[in-house]
Amino acid sequence: MSSGLLSIGVSGLAAAQLGLLTTEHNVTNASTPGYTRQRTVQTSLVGIQTGGGTVGQGTDVVTIERMYDKYLSAQVNSSQTKLSETDAYYAQISQIDNLMADPAAGLSPALQEFFKGVQDVAANPSLLSSRQAMISSAETLVSRFQSLDMRLDELNNEVNGRIEDNVGLINSYAKQIAELNQRIVIAESSYGQPANDMLDQRGQLINELNKLIKVTTPSSTNSGLNVFIGSGQPLVIGTQTMEMTATPSTADASRMVIGIKTSAAGASVELPDSLVIGGELGGLVKFRNEVLGSTTNELGRLAASMALTFNAQQALGQDLLGRAGTETGFETEFFSMAALKPTVIANTSNTGTKTISVSFADPSFGGTDGNFYTNLTTSDYLLTKTGAGYTLTRLDDNEQWSGADIPALSGLVSSEGLSISLSSTGAAHVAGDSFLIQPTRNAAENLAVNAVIAADPRTIAAALPFRTTSTASNTGSGAISAGTGAQGFNLSSLATPITFTFVSGSPNTLTYAGGASGSVNYTSGMTISVSGMSFVMTGVPNNGDSFKLERNTAATTDGRNALALGKLQTQNTVAGGSATFQTAFAQTVADIGIKTRELRVVGAAQESALNQAQISRDTLSGVNLDEEAANMIRYQQAYQASAKILDIGSQLFDTLLQLG
Amino acid sequence: MRISTAQIFDSGSRGIGRNQVDLYKLQNQLSSGRKNLTPADDPVAAAQALVLTQSKEVSAQFIKNQGDARGKLSVVETQVGAVGDLLQNVREKLVQAGNTTLSNSDRSYIAKELEARFSELLGIANAQDGTGSYLFSGYQGALKPFSVDQSGAQYAGDDGKRLLQVDGSRQMATNVSGNELFQNIRNGNGTFVTSTNGNGTGINKGTGVIDQGSVTNPADWNANHPSKIEIRFSVVAGVTTYSLYKDSDVVPFSSGNNFVSGDPIALEDGSTNYGASVAIEGQPLHDDSFVVKPSTNESIFTTLRSAINTLNKGVGSVASGNSTTQYVNDFAGQLQQIDQALENVNKIRSTVGSNLLELESLGNSGEDLQLQYASSLSALQDLDYAKAISEMAQKQLQLEAAQLSFKQISQLSLFSIL
Repeated sequence: MSSGLLSIGVSGLAAAQLGLLTTEHNVTNASTPGYTRQRTVQTSLVGIQTGGGTVGQGTDVVTIERMYDKYLSAQVNSSQTKLSETDAYYAQISQIDNLMADPAAGLSPALQEFFKGVQDVAANPSLLSSRQAMISSAETLVSRFQSLDMRLDELNNEVNGRIEDNVGLINSYAKQIAELNQRIVIAESSYGQPANDMLDQRGQLINELNKLIKVTTPSSTNSGLNVFIGSGQPLVIGTQTMEMTATPSTADASRMVIGIKTSAAGASVELPDSLVIGGELGGLVKFRNEVLGSTTNELGRLAASMALTFNAQQALGQDLLGRAGTETGFETEFFSMAALKPTVIANTSNTGTKTISVSFADPSFGGTDGNFYTNLTTSDYLLTKTGAGYTLTRLDDNEQWSGADIPALSGLVSSEGLSISLSSTGAAHVAGDSFLIQPTRNAAENLAVNAVIAADPRTIAAALPFRTTSTASNTGSGAISAGTGAQGFNLSSLATPITFTFVSGSPNTLTYAGGASGSVNYTSGMTISVSGMSFVMTGVPNNGDSFKLERNTAATTDGRNALALGKLQTQNTVAGGSATFQTAFAQTVADIGIKTRELRVVGAAQESALNQAQISRDTLSGVNLDEEAANMIRYQQAYQASAKILDIGSQLFDTLLQLG
Repeated sequence: MRISTAQIFDSGSRGIGRNQVDLYKLQNQLSSGRKNLTPADDPVAAAQALVLTQSKEVSAQFIKNQGDARGKLSVVETQVGAVGDLLQNVREKLVQAGNTTLSNSDRSYIAKELEARFSELLGIANAQDGTGSYLFSGYQGALKPFSVDQSGAQYAGDDGKRLLQVDGSRQMATNVSGNELFQNIRNGNGTFVTSTNGNGTGINKGTGVIDQGSVTNPADWNANHPSKIEIRFSVVAGVTTYSLYKDSDVVPFSSGNNFVSGDPIALEDGSTNYGASVAIEGQPLHDDSFVVKPSTNESIFTTLRSAINTLNKGVGSVASGNSTTQYVNDFAGQLQQIDQALENVNKIRSTVGSNLLELESLGNSGEDLQLQYASSLSALQDLDYAKAISEMAQKQLQLEAAQLSFKQISQLSLFSIL
């Protein structure tokens, strides 16, 4: 009887003690990340059947269980990986957003200042000081382009660095998970009890891993938890880990790409960016693909369009020394094009060794304003050798052009503002060889003012190489306008002046002879274009009246070409003649702003989703100190009560002894 | 529902953090005065602001160009005015010299004075602007445009217009070329010019003085006029008749017409009407001739030089080639030419004047535009202070409430009372 009392009392003491231990464990881990509160699971021992009924035998602690729900934890993990992705993306893009934000430091003020300089030259073409000021403002513009580009380049380096760091972390987490897998299996198989705290630790590592990249963990097997990334690439299988790598891309060495080694000694296989989802890595890769590349390209397109259109207009002019066209000493380039050309990167796994070179096509001329414009896009291109020839793919939208050979293909892609050529030496390409073409990626970096012009402001072509004159002996009222330059100007046609003679008749005609000859029907107000020179004729000339187009010798106060250069500011010069420099830049700023704003909103929503998931989980798994305090009292009192049972048992025993 | 202790702390600090972020943003807005701190705050406004900024800058540039144009045109206007005054003075002298009662020495004095005017005019024609460019040389600003030669002066410049962009679609010439101002002056009446044509190898012997003629039908003149029409007189038995020759014909197209002094002589070739008539006063003698030619351009310098030559030649006899009649005929032509030059100067003056006026109105609308751009930009970018400050007060209150409630709740612990 009394031995029963003692054993019941002892079972109660043991249960209360375990309860107290578990409570203390909970209290001390109240703020441990990933900790799941534990509790003892207590059952009554099966009683002994007697004539007087079933006599209870005390209590037993079956196990210490975690208050854990894998669905709630999975929810936290998936919310976490989405938020981490958005956060990483936002952290990067907001740097560009801030860069564009300052109205005083962006591209716009330098652009405005530059065109002011051009206008000044138009107003005072003979003043060297105006010309010098225009060159200075051009150099300011160039350095603004370069510093913006450098900032974007730094961001690219930052992304590369972060990718490397994160890959290192992922590998270390993967190893820890594999180790825990092993220890958990051993622990659980030895005692047949759950390894609560190691399970928590593993769960926390999975959560940390999800902050870096989205992982999936199908239900654990006997050998532990398996971890997969992307579309099912294994990271941890039981106690084995696959090593993730960060290596320069074979297509573009300036980009770190993520790879995975399927065996310890094996080569790393590049994971396509589309498989890098979630977490900080997902955010970085998304940022690089959606924003960084295209922003660098937009900036480069602006720089290239600026250089191409400005140079094309400069080439139509005449400098202060009276030189034009192909004459020795005349500079046809205001912005140096030596370094400013599309980048071509041969894939390092190519077989053929022939080189591909790509250059900018000459800018188009026309539009409502009659100005130069470029057709460049902000996309990168992939040139691939196929069995039938070559295929060029615009990577933004996968539009494709195919040609039997490079010249045929080059003819097709002039609509993209590019021209492609192939070297004659080297081994021929084989199907599968590819080249990444980045027309504008490095344009902003390589923009420069022509050194000759920078050194000698007189070489700015502010004047036009021709002028119009009406002959003094004309008797009619015909008048000829000053004239403007247009594409196709050919200086040689001015070797001798072109004389236009009016011949009355029906219809009236203007016949011209000299450097160029021909005849046009005359109506007052008509625009006449000859060899890239155009002018307007008005009034009623008399038969035999004549007008002349001649070389504009000694034209120091002619600013017509500078006026045309100045007009490029407000003309549609970019994107196939659909945007001005400024509106194209504004579009970029708006795109970045819209994306940043979207991420800010999405981030806020994801944060509250994560909070909700965490609250749900904590509601079940989190430690409440007040609750633990109450439990402590409860187990203390249970302990005291059980001790009292022992006391009573002992007293009963004493009583019996006294009887004897 | 149960709640974990960590949740209480987390949500408390999250609430405080959120309020702090809001306050930080407000503080930044207040200190910078900008509604949108980065393009992300309002991407559309950011893009619009960029486009507007350029429009504003471009319009400011136009205002500056207008100022430049005004400066340049004002210099031109002053010089053109000086040319006008000078020509007026020359005209007075010529009217005075036209008096046939003057002595030849009187005429040579006037000639000397005109010589001084000639030099003065040459000075104006070769004037330079503040930067050392010649005003009237067209594009060739570094080239001295006029140099004296036998017949007056030679123009070395061109017709170049120094254009300035004074508005989006308006390029304005800020100069007047030497050709326009000094060279391209229609002689005669602007359509044709009349003069004596001599008698054989000498000058006309009679007293016939030809007027400047009149255009009766400009269309006919334009369509039909020959390179010249000669009116040759014939006096047979006291009857004066005239014949009309065109171009270099030796056969007249009209002959035996009776001459009445002062009556208009219609220039007609049978059915072909030249649309012009001239009148000759006085009594021409046999074989005296006059000629009518289409107008061409004549330089003011040439006109002045001829006038000086006429004055210096003086008045003598038919034999010495300087008869009174010849003098009167020559002088009438030169006086008319000065009038043409004056008219041309006035025309240019009014063109320059109307350009200046246009600049003024462009300037006014440009300033208005500047204000509009500025207010649009302000609406896009600037902070509404009243709203921001009241929002700040509200956020401050929220933050204080969050902090206070956190303090109260965090102190509630069962452990502290056990």
